[in-house]
Amino acid sequence: MNPGQFIKKHKFELVLMAPLIVYIFGFTLGPVAYTIFISFQEKFTRFFPTLTNYRYILSHFQFKEAFINTLLITLISLSLELGLGLFLAVILSRRFMGRGLLRAIVLLPLGVPTIVAASNMRYIFDNQGYLNEVLYKLHFIKLPVDWTGTGMKAIWSIAVSDMWKVTPLVMLILLAGLESIHPRLFEAAKIDGASNWQIFKRITLPLLKPFITIALVIRGIDAFRLFELPLTLVGSTTPVMSTYTYFEYFQYNNPYTSAASAVMLLLMILISVTVYFKVMGQTEIAY
Amino acid sequence: MKKLLLIIIVSFVIFQLFACARKEELVLKVVMGLAENEWQVMRDEIFPDFEKKHNCKIEAYQVEAADWPKKLQAMVGAGKVSVDVFSQDNMRLFALVENNLVEDLSPYKKQIPHQVMAGMKEAGVFGGRVYFFPYRPNVQITYYNRDKFRKYNLQKPKDWNELLKAAKLFKEKEGIGRVGLKLWGDGPTTVQVYEMIVSAGGKPLKFNDEGCIKTFKVLKKLYPYLSPDSKKAKWDTTNTYLANESFYLAQNWPFGINIIVREYGKKDILAYGGWRGPEREAHVIGGEVLGIPRGAKNKDLALKFILFLESREVQEKLVAALGWPSIRSDAYSEVADWQKPYFKATREALECGIYRPNVLYWGEFDKFLNEAVIRIVIKQKAVIPVLDEYHNKMQNIIRAYESRAIH
Repeated sequence: MNPGQFIKKHKFELVLMAPLIVYIFGFTLGPVAYTIFISFQEKFTRFFPTLTNYRYILSHFQFKEAFINTLLITLISLSLELGLGLFLAVILSRRFMGRGLLRAIVLLPLGVPTIVAASNMRYIFDNQGYLNEVLYKLHFIKLPVDWTGTGMKAIWSIAVSDMWKVTPLVMLILLAGLESIHPRLFEAAKIDGASNWQIFKRITLPLLKPFITIALVIRGIDAFRLFELPLTLVGSTTPVMSTYTYFEYFQYNNPYTSAASAVMLLLMILISVTVYFKVMGQTEIAY
Repeated sequence: MKKLLLIIIVSFVIFQLFACARKEELVLKVVMGLAENEWQVMRDEIFPDFEKKHNCKIEAYQVEAADWPKKLQAMVGAGKVSVDVFSQDNMRLFALVENNLVEDLSPYKKQIPHQVMAGMKEAGVFGGRVYFFPYRPNVQITYYNRDKFRKYNLQKPKDWNELLKAAKLFKEKEGIGRVGLKLWGDGPTTVQVYEMIVSAGGKPLKFNDEGCIKTFKVLKKLYPYLSPDSKKAKWDTTNTYLANESFYLAQNWPFGINIIVREYGKKDILAYGGWRGPEREAHVIGGEVLGIPRGAKNKDLALKFILFLESREVQEKLVAALGWPSIRSDAYSEVADWQKPYFKATREALECGIYRPNVLYWGEFDKFLNEAVIRIVIKQKAVIPVLDEYHNKMQNIIRAYESRAIH
């Protein structure tokens, strides 16, 4: 069938699909392609293709910092989210009075817009914030700690803020995994005299592995894109990949280096997505 | 039934006619970047008078200064300019002129009232042509906590040595720095360091002359004694830090007067012009100007609106209600008694006012200066090698812009 015949045959379907195609090309693929294009364009001469912008960002101290900070935040926040998420999932998988209410409360942060969460976190982590106030009242500190200043304290502040916001999602994934494990497995282990810790280590964790992997990969991709939290909490003193890209464009009016940085971020996310699909392809959830 | 149908049709036609008549009402579309309290004053006290006088309606939109050049470029590029007049930060004008996004207002420059201070008109001039009219000047004044200064028997710092002495004393007495500088980055940091370099006799765009080196050396020395909130201090947060006593001394625009004194009730926070450097006292004149987008539909009405905002009547209202300094020398008669000392400080600072150059490479300069601050002041790197590096980078950028201009 030639294209003309194809169009004639499927014209109604094509008309119906047109808005979606326009949307995908106009608002998703088009801007992405343009960003990739200008990332290879020289600012002054508009020469294409050139690696000038990539050379610039790769030798720029703030880009290196942004890259390392992004990896550190991802590592710390994933560990925290997974630990707390698993803990909450195990508790909420048990039957007790008020479980529904507790589930709803634990899920609340998911409904809070990230920018609102970031503002709230400033109230907590500021020099005159709640955290310093509590530590001072408990006589742990005499002077305020600059949690969102620079270095690892700033990284931890962002990671903990992200943990507060996203742990419910990790918990939901793990809870789904826990509830899919057949109760008879636990009963059989108990009959054989296994302790709670042995059951958790030998049955729960191995069977949860596929869900843990999925949670890790999904959250890993998300953590690379963290933007509002670092922007609001630490600004340019502790850059991450997304805020570096933002500052290059909006503060310093340089769309070319900003595009190069955005493409690097896109690459990081694409690698994570590839890992995700590989993992998903290999993962068999069967008992 | 037929009658009912007729009534419906006639009603519909009448409604449409009214709707068309409404559409013909003259609408002036205005873009500004204001805080909520500033919008309230504009909407309640400023716009209605103009609407009444010119039988029009003002539709005003909030757009941040940083976003406006890109939005306007998109409008002009698409040939659909839906804004008639805009206000813009005088430090973000270069992109608008460079990309030919604004009307040349040179033919109307004689209409600027003669009471407008001569220096205020300079900000809108590029290559001898007037693209923007003045509307709101700004200059940083120095706020200090009178009670804390009295408690430690300190005088308000008049030069860099006294500033360093005050910073050290506060840190020694309280265990934490109480002098605030704006080190968050972007414009707040640039303005602060720029005026320090000029007051040390340096040329900021050079990066490695004696004035620049002196400035960075003193900033590096000062940093350990600063309030830790300096790293988060911008123009908006500085008011909060002064009000909640994280800062006992900091520079900021005069809009802080209403926030610190009126909203927070901190009457013990006073202001003065500021400190001098080794060579002179210098304060960057910031603020906003008004422009008309290229291809605006209501250019005549837009020009009338600009002149209306420059009128004594409007300027007096802005001074009294918002604490904005005025472009006019005759607009301070309505100032409340409690505001007078602060406006005295503003006039003192304006007397030492300097303009930053309207250069196309301001964006790059801003970036390099911020990076130098991070490396030298926050990360405590050696002053001269870093400044030499940025000197070379800046020269390359200037050459690149010049060669593009030639081509």
